[in-house]
Parts: sequence; C-alpha cells; structure tokens
Amino acid sequence: MKFESAMLVFWKDWKEIRRNYQVLAPIIFVPLVFTIVLPLILVLVPSVVGMPGTAFQLIGPMFENLPPEVRAAVSGMGAEEAIVYVFALYFFAPFFLIIPIMASSVLASDSFAGEKDRKTLEALLATPLTEGDLLLGKVLVAFIPSIIVTFASFVVYCVVVDLASVLRFGGELLLPNALWVLFIFGVTPLVALAGIGVTVIISLRVKGYREAQQMSAILIAPVLALVFAEVGGAIVFGPLMILLMIGVFALVNALVLVLGIRHFHREELLTRGG
Amino acid sequence: MEAIVAQNLTKKFDSFTAVDGLSLEVHEGEVFGLLGPNGAGKTTTIRMLACIISPTSGTAQIHGRDITKDPAAVRAMVGVQTESPSLYERLTALENLEFFARAYGMGDPARIQPRIRELLEFFDLWERRGDRVAVFSKGMKQKLAIARAIIHDPPVLFLDEPTSGLDPEASKLIRDLILKLSRTERRTILISTHRLEDAERICSRVGIILRGELKVTGTPEELRRRVAGEAKVVIRVLGAAPELAGSINGIPGVSRVEAGSGELVVSTGDPALTTPDIVRRIVEMGGQILSVRPFLPSLEEAYLSIVEGMRG
Repeated sequence: MKFESAMLVFWKDWKEIRRNYQVLAPIIFVPLVFTIVLPLILVLVPSVVGMPGTAFQLIGPMFENLPPEVRAAVSGMGAEEAIVYVFALYFFAPFFLIIPIMASSVLASDSFAGEKDRKTLEALLATPLTEGDLLLGKVLVAFIPSIIVTFASFVVYCVVVDLASVLRFGGELLLPNALWVLFIFGVTPLVALAGIGVTVIISLRVKGYREAQQMSAILIAPVLALVFAEVGGAIVFGPLMILLMIGVFALVNALVLVLGIRHFHREELLTRGG
Repeated sequence: MEAIVAQNLTKKFDSFTAVDGLSLEVHEGEVFGLLGPNGAGKTTTIRMLACIISPTSGTAQIHGRDITKDPAAVRAMVGVQTESPSLYERLTALENLEFFARAYGMGDPARIQPRIRELLEFFDLWERRGDRVAVFSKGMKQKLAIARAIIHDPPVLFLDEPTSGLDPEASKLIRDLILKLSRTERRTILISTHRLEDAERICSRVGIILRGELKVTGTPEELRRRVAGEAKVVIRVLGAAPELAGSINGIPGVSRVEAGSGELVVSTGDPALTTPDIVRRIVEMGGQILSVRPFLPSLEEAYLSIVEGMRG
C-alpha cells in the first residue's frame, strides 16, 4: 500500500463528491439544523425573550429525571438559566454523534457503493492500485470531510451557545469546556470511523448507493437510543460516559477493521450484490 | 513469442460455469478476436486475463507474468477497455485521463500531459477536454474509454466491444488505431466483439466461445473455408450465363455450375487447376468475362453456421 496512491483515490473521489449535490445536501443541512436551528429555538430564543409558562410544564419532568450531579450544578440558577445550561451542555451532546455518523456513512456509501451504481468499478479495479490503496483512499475521503464538518459544527454551536450564555450568565462563556473538547476530539472521530467501517461492509454486499444508504441508516439507531436515554435521565453526559464511548467505539472499530480488510477484495467488490 | 497464454482457464460463479477450461495462445503483435453470443464467457475471460477477477482454476501468463501469482505486474502491463465505458461522469475528460495515468504509475506530469493531449487530439476530444463526461455522447465516451485503456502505452490490450456505439467514421478510426498498434508498435490486442465485419477486417485470428468453452480458433479465412464446403469460383459474364453453364459442366474437376443473371458459380475441388480451363471455355464459347473471384462465405455466415452447428 502506498500513501501517494491512496491520496490519488482520495482526490479523485473528493472531486466527484463536491460536484454531487445529492451527497452534499445532507452533510450541510443536518449539521445546520443541529448547530443553529435547534439551539436557536431551545437555547438562544429563551435567553432573549424568556420561556412561556407552558414550556416549564413540559420540561419540568425532564429536569426531575436529571442525575443528581447535574441538578446540583443548576440548583442555584433561575429556571430559564437552568434550561439554557442543561440544554446547551447536556441535551445537545448526542446530536454531535449523529453528525459524524451521518456524514461518514453518506460519503462512504457514495465512494464505495456509488462506484457500483455508476459502473466505474471495473476500470478502477483494472489498474495496478492495490486493495489497500483503494480502501485507505476511500476511507479518507469519507473520514476527513466528516470530521471537518463535525469540528466546524462544534465551532458554530459554541458561538450560538455563547451568545445565549453571554446574555443569561453575565458574560460567562459556557463552551468550549474540557468535557466537550474531550467529547468532540476523542469520540466523534471514532464514531465517524465506525460509520465508515460498517458502511464499507454493507457496500460490499449491496447493488448501489441508495441500498447502502438505506441499510446504513441503522447506524443512527444506537445514537437515538443514547439521546432518549439521556433525556430520560438513564445516562448522564459526563467524563465516565465519554471514556466508555471511546472504549466501545475503539472496540467496534477494531472489529469492523478486521472484517473490512478480510472482505475487501477486488472480486467481492465487483461480483457481490451486483 | 506468445504474449498471452491461457491454460485451462475456468471461472465458476456458485454453480454456474462462466468459462470452462479455456486454453489459448496469442502471439505478440497479433489481434485476436473473441467471438460468441451474449453470455458466452467473453467478458469473464477478459476480466480474468486482466486480473480483475481470479480464475477458479487454471492460469494464464501475460508476457510471461502469471495472472494468479503476479496480478499487480499483469495489471500494470495491460490496458483494458471494459464493456461499459466505466468513466467518472462528474469528472472532465482531462481529469479522467489524469487519474488513470497516475493510477497506472505515470507519475511524471511532463510525461502525462503530452500523452493526454496526443490521445485527446487523436480522438477529436481535445476541444472538449474541460467538459464533464456526463455531457458526452455514447461515441465520445467510448473513444475516451479507449484513450484511457492505452494511456500508459501497454504492450497488451483487452478491448471489450471497442466499436460498439460508434458511428462508421469513428469505427474506422478505432479499427485503424488497432491495426497501427498491432502492426507498427507490435502491441498484442485481444478484442471481444459482436461486429463480425470488424473482426474480419482487423483480426489475424479469431476464436468462437460458446457456453464458456472455446470451440474453434483460426484465421478468419480458415473459419470461412471451414464452412464453405467445396471451393467455389464466381465468374461474372456479359450476356446469357445459363447458355455457358452447360459447356462448363463437362470440364474435368468441375462438379457443379449454378447460373444466375450475369453470374456463374462454379463448384470445383481445385480452383487453381480448373479456373484456367473454365475461363478458356467461356472465351471459346464467345462469352465476355467481367471478373473472376473465389467465393467464400463471410465471417458472419461462417460464425452463424459454426455456432448453429455446435448448438446442434
């Protein structure tokens, strides 16, 4: 395997992807919703115009489910400050798992299964590029943009949250904090890699991009479970959970890597699923 | 020297045998045509020889390199034009060729750019080099796919239906290119085609593949002779051909004479021996000869006859 050859595949795929609006649209719009639209509605707007009484009735039970350490952190705050604090620092965290997993699976589906759709695989496999060159180049083209989008989303989210916190917490900036930095830089790259690995394995067995995308949607299920578990108070977004996620995703990646390398062969790519 | 040697090449997909014990030798500088109906195993044979898929059993050597033991070296020395153009439609013609030139190890831009320009100009695509392939016509894509196959100057070329989708002018351009590569540059070319008139014009030898088995190989003329039966001579004459037929019938060595309008078709065991006697007799009878030519069925007729015969 040569890194130069892998980068050749990377740049070729990247030129294709940036001209494909079907792939770019979800990668741009989903993070916009999670980092601007929802935080504006749930964090910034309450900071500026206050919360209606009915909102407190709806959110109240959620607060009762919060773990003791979070309730202790907001105990001295007013109701609106507490809402901004909890939403900004805890509620939105799992959404930052959805962004890399969605972006990486969309990009990997296009890069791997998309070649089947477009019938470009045969000429590519006829070249002297090795399986390792192809695999690394295609993993990189899914991984690098996913991580850039995730990190950029985090920066935008920090700006939106800090606009709210400046208004509500007397000039104090809530983000970035150590917990979020560990989460964004420690967990999300592993999540992106897991998304790519699973999509590669799926792509080997399907006919094309759409089928790979539909099957890869299953990746969102465990992340949604995390969102609901956190809202329900079953888990808390903290250092222990982050370290646990790093461990779990590292294991998942190791398993997926072994499976991916074992099954990523020219013949499998060309003849399976077609 | 043999450029391609295949021994008992077999490919099975689960219980289906796509290629069954194919053995083949193609000489250096030769154009070999693989003929056969759809699904006969032509594309699978090319895919195995080009190391895109591996054989279930058997092997082959390309310029002495074994396809099972040294596939990377084989891939580097062959060019493949696949059944579908297999081009990146969101990339431009230039970007497609640049990618494949580098993928084939032509790292030096000073070598790549002149080569790309040479090929795009040859195929009349230079002016469209900055256009995305998605807007190209089928024929333009086919030409670009062939340019991609030869970008790295490979000594062995596999072309799967190279003139498919091309207009007569472009077909001739491709045929002329294949002949130039073969005769002038000693490239070895294996083509798969349904266009038998193309095979007849450019292939030095052809093979008919049926249900995965290579049934017959030979020069196009050998195949034509094989189905032609007894040799025939066609003589175009001015005037009443039927009147001349009777006098020719008696010439030793002539077994049958068919008279049409202005034409006599004479069946004879040895045309070289009997044709002078036939011509002399016609002239003695006052007939005026316009042309004399040996008659052989076309490769298409020979192919259809052979395939039908083998299907039983």
